[in-house]
Amino acid sequence: MPQSAPPVAIEHWRRRLWRNLLYGHNVDRGAKARARVGLAIMAFATVYAVIAGKLVMFAVIGDSHSVRRGVGTDAVATARPDILDRNGEILATDVKAPSLFAEPRKIIDVDEAVELLSAVLPDLDASELRERLASKRGFVWLKREITAKQQQEIRHLGLPGVGFLSENKRVYPNRSEVSHIIGHVNIDNQGIAGIEKWLDSSGLADLHMAGFATDRLQKPVVLAVDLRVQHVLREEMLAAREKYKALAASGLITDVRTGEILAMVSLPDYDPNNPREAIDPTRINRLTTGVYEMGSTFKALTIAMALDSGKISLGSTFDARVPLRYGRFNIHDFHAQHRVLSVPEIFTYSSNIGTARMALALGVDYHKAFLRKLGQLDRLRTELPESAEPLLPKRWGELNTITIAFGHGLSVAPLQAVMGVAALMNGGSMVPPTFLKRTPEEAAALARPVVKPETSEKMRFLMRLNAEKGTASKADVKGYYVGGKTGTAEKVEHGHYSKTKVLTSFMAVLPADQPRYLLLVMLDDPQTASDTHGFTTSGWNAVPVGGNVIARVAPLLGLEPRLDLPPAERLILATKEAR
Amino acid sequence: MRILRLLHLIMVAALVLAAADVYRIKFDSTRQGEHLAKLRGDVRRERDAIGSLRAEWSELDAPKRIQALAQRHLPLKPIEINQYDTLDHLPERPLDIVPPGTADPIGAIIETRSDAALLTGTIAPRPNPR
Repeated sequence: MPQSAPPVAIEHWRRRLWRNLLYGHNVDRGAKARARVGLAIMAFATVYAVIAGKLVMFAVIGDSHSVRRGVGTDAVATARPDILDRNGEILATDVKAPSLFAEPRKIIDVDEAVELLSAVLPDLDASELRERLASKRGFVWLKREITAKQQQEIRHLGLPGVGFLSENKRVYPNRSEVSHIIGHVNIDNQGIAGIEKWLDSSGLADLHMAGFATDRLQKPVVLAVDLRVQHVLREEMLAAREKYKALAASGLITDVRTGEILAMVSLPDYDPNNPREAIDPTRINRLTTGVYEMGSTFKALTIAMALDSGKISLGSTFDARVPLRYGRFNIHDFHAQHRVLSVPEIFTYSSNIGTARMALALGVDYHKAFLRKLGQLDRLRTELPESAEPLLPKRWGELNTITIAFGHGLSVAPLQAVMGVAALMNGGSMVPPTFLKRTPEEAAALARPVVKPETSEKMRFLMRLNAEKGTASKADVKGYYVGGKTGTAEKVEHGHYSKTKVLTSFMAVLPADQPRYLLLVMLDDPQTASDTHGFTTSGWNAVPVGGNVIARVAPLLGLEPRLDLPPAERLILATKEAR
Repeated sequence: MRILRLLHLIMVAALVLAAADVYRIKFDSTRQGEHLAKLRGDVRRERDAIGSLRAEWSELDAPKRIQALAQRHLPLKPIEINQYDTLDHLPERPLDIVPPGTADPIGAIIETRSDAALLTGTIAPRPNPR
């Protein structure tokens, strides 16, 4: 029928497009209806697919709403990870403590509330409390961190407009024992000193900001410190400070191979549960924040430098017959021998003249470069936020090299000196000290060779020799083959070196043939005691204290006592030659 | 057409069933959610309790306290250096009383024992050679 063609042509172009797309040309209505039903089925199928997909999503992601709901009411002071010692003993942890708040607008009788509350919480200031409750604010803290018993009592008062929020409270079960290492937190659980502050600066603060750090499921931080060793060291240092009436007493034990600090005590210290004590400037951590002229302990570095240069050997001799004159200065020896001394003699008699001559023989630049290599001239940074810059002479001339050779004229943080000496003991590689637990492999990756292994062996020989027949003999605890170097530095008073006030120090390595640990004992301004025969030098105070510490600590550190070991000449030097 | 109507019916039935099922699932998930929230709360509480108990324990277990208690109540003393010894200092294992392979070992022991001087623990130990 040729007439039917025009209506098709009249059909709107858009409808034709649809028709063509959906059913093609020339299809009947039945097919059209089927196609529509098919379309409806598809639409529904899509909707169901979306629903199913959404269900799967819910199942996978879980209901985040209920978690948020639970968090809202507590954990105002956010959670912090536990801090553990190397054996897993708790040094710092969070406990939940209720805090008391009020909504002043809901309080009916302010006077009654003040009266009842101050009966339960006697340390609450009544006038301040009244002021707070009378204010028109919606929310005021009344007291943070009350005890469970107080909470119970307040609940029984039945006061309207008073409530509790449970907060995380930081507790330090060992009180003052590890104070300077772990530091402390403020009332909002933010670290303000020590490892606690380090935790915040290494990402925890950001977590807090984002509101994630609310659970106690955070990974605990394991420190290098050994609580038992720390306790022994602290107890001995307390006793020493008492006995010698020292202004301050500090001690440190480090693993020479890994750089881990196993114990660190700086007295006077404070109880981190009571952070107010920490403000007192006499309670600073002297080992990291103080800088001191280390005195004769520094001679170990000078002699190591001399031996490592290859120009000076153990057999070299230096003239110590007369004091060393430099300009208008005279360098004397404390244990003056008035003769030519060999290198081991210089070490055991702690000869200022000898070490000064050694340093002079190598020159100022060499001396400077060596000390820089050993990290003595730059600020030492550890995990602890507190650190101090060493005090260097402004212009480093020959006279400075002379005095620095025997430990005067350069002030370093004691921890820094320990790091330097540890590098001389452990075979000659410098490992940055750490307060965190570290495996030997990690330490090996960080280690940087600074002196030759032979130099290290010679230094251990000298240290051992000094304990066998030198100034460190009072610390020669039988069985542990201790080696040590003493130091007595005159303190600077009003710009002059004082003749009476000294800073004594003692560094001991044990065992000297297979070095594991390095101990530092430092006493600030020790006085004479009944058994010191009027002396205040290191050999009479720091050394016996070091001996006491070693005797108690060595078994804890798992060192096997070995009796009947040959003297240093045979054990340390002979093995070296055999190689 | 009949097929179409059947399809309609099936669809309506499926819709009703699906709606019922969705409702059931929703109800169930709400209940589960509440249960979960409650359990989470319990876990938190338990964990807090564990936390405070651990804190208390480490306070009680502090070396300082233990040392004070030990000094007050125990007669213990720190180990002396000469109380340690190594295994190579142990004396040699005593010879077998009876050679191995004896037919009647017990009889042989009685045989040898009856002749030997009686050795008991009450006899003073030999002085330490070292």
